[in-house]
Amino acid sequence: MKRLALLPPLLLWGLPAQAHPHVMVSVTSEVIFADGKVAAIRHHWTFDDMYSAFVTANLGQEGKDPTPQELQPVAQTNVESLKEFDYFTVPKLNGKKVVFGDPRDYSMTFDGKDKTATLHFTMPLKEATQSKLFVFQIYDPSYFVAFQFDKGEPVTLAGAPQGCSLSVSKPKALDSDESKKLNESFFSGLSPGSDFGAKLADRAIVACP
Amino acid sequence: MLSRGAKWRLVVAVGLLALVCVAGEAMAQGAARNPFSVGVSEGGGQYTGVLGWIMSQQMAFERQMSGAVRAIRTTGAGFWTLAGISFAYGVFHAAGPGHGKAVVAAYMIANERALKRGLVISGLASLLQGLVAIAIVGVLALLLNATAQRMRDAAQWVEMASFAGIASFGGFLAWRKGRALLTALRPQAPALASRFVCEAVEGDETHQHGPNCGHFHMPDPSTLGKPTFAFRDAALTVITAGARPCSGAILVLVFSMAQGIFWAGVAATFAMALGTAITTGALATMAVLAKDLAMRLTGGQSSRRGEIIGRTLEFAAACLVLLLGLALLLGFTLAGV
Repeated sequence: MKRLALLPPLLLWGLPAQAHPHVMVSVTSEVIFADGKVAAIRHHWTFDDMYSAFVTANLGQEGKDPTPQELQPVAQTNVESLKEFDYFTVPKLNGKKVVFGDPRDYSMTFDGKDKTATLHFTMPLKEATQSKLFVFQIYDPSYFVAFQFDKGEPVTLAGAPQGCSLSVSKPKALDSDESKKLNESFFSGLSPGSDFGAKLADRAIVACP
Repeated sequence: MLSRGAKWRLVVAVGLLALVCVAGEAMAQGAARNPFSVGVSEGGGQYTGVLGWIMSQQMAFERQMSGAVRAIRTTGAGFWTLAGISFAYGVFHAAGPGHGKAVVAAYMIANERALKRGLVISGLASLLQGLVAIAIVGVLALLLNATAQRMRDAAQWVEMASFAGIASFGGFLAWRKGRALLTALRPQAPALASRFVCEAVEGDETHQHGPNCGHFHMPDPSTLGKPTFAFRDAALTVITAGARPCSGAILVLVFSMAQGIFWAGVAATFAMALGTAITTGALATMAVLAKDLAMRLTGGQSSRRGEIIGRTLEFAAACLVLLLGLALLLGFTLAGV
């Protein structure tokens, strides 16, 4: 009879929230300062080749790569639907969560060599703020999209005051308790808690004097 | 005055109606979709241990697929590489979560004892899943030059329909299995000389005894006269479990199309379906074995206790399908998001 206990988890297996990421996004971001304050983040999100093919399907002229004009509607839809997901970006100023205003300067470009599409958009902070410590992470809590900072120089500062420094940190491995919690959440079908995405995401840290 | 049976039927009917209304309401509101979805609401997961390994394997295979498709285009070789990767992806993808398996497993518990049929159902459901993806991409993108947005809409529509299908199928099964359970629960005439009571159970026209006291169940009266009554349930299982395309198949198909070798995507999708069929088949087997074991441990269907346990199990499985369908329809992912 004990084996019968296997049945409910077997059936709960069916819930869709826990597949693996289907879309990979390589991120580069600029932190834009105005008057010595953090004013905006400009994102450049490059999709993997398969998703790029999907999102640009039938948009270019016969045999040609799609142009930014042809991709503009896609950029707009993306940016609009990202709003509901807070742009997958979690910014913290001096330890406090800050909010974004409406995105601007959005566009999409297609790299004919790599066959990848890149979404560009600027996220202004609702109010520019003096910052000693500005931290942001980009992640999809549902893990459908796997965000990763680009190799090389993924984050740059634009117009930063003298003495500001920047670092990008990889997530530290989950401790065994946390791993257990995450695995249990699979079997119970309940959420492991919303902070897991944050724990597993890359983090950009801007420190200013 | 209503008889007890009729009252019960009324309660179930009203309950189901209420659930359908709630589900319809939720459908109208529409759940928030990931901005980068390809139309079907698959989340991801970052897990550790065995599950984490499964997840990372499928992700690795999905990444390799685009490389394999490119290799076919540039060198003409690599077909078997792509087929192999896609097959492995299918095996791992199905080993991860997905509602199709749940439907198949629940159906096996609720209905089937024949393992062979379970395997055929798993195979057909996987094949259907592949065919739906090919149809969406082939017809919309290749023939009609549809954009991503149109494909997404189509996939979403198919998905919603399949969720509704799961819920209705679950409701239908729960209704039937609930009746069977009630019948089994009804007190039976006390045994006289023998432990075995060989007479028709009052009120259950489906419960019949043969001349040698053999015990078998006839199909529902409504299905009498249709010799292939099991076929209907099996077909419903195939459709509800297999209607929703998987994102991986849609992506490899569109990518192949963009590379000018759509057929490679089709081949990859079939290889994926084969892999999925193997895993789903294994799960169906597990479901049948688990049920067999439960029946054996409780003395089999021939004892009253065994009968009740068996019926309870079937009813519970049917209810789970119903709940799963409703949960999917309502946009609950139960796992957060």
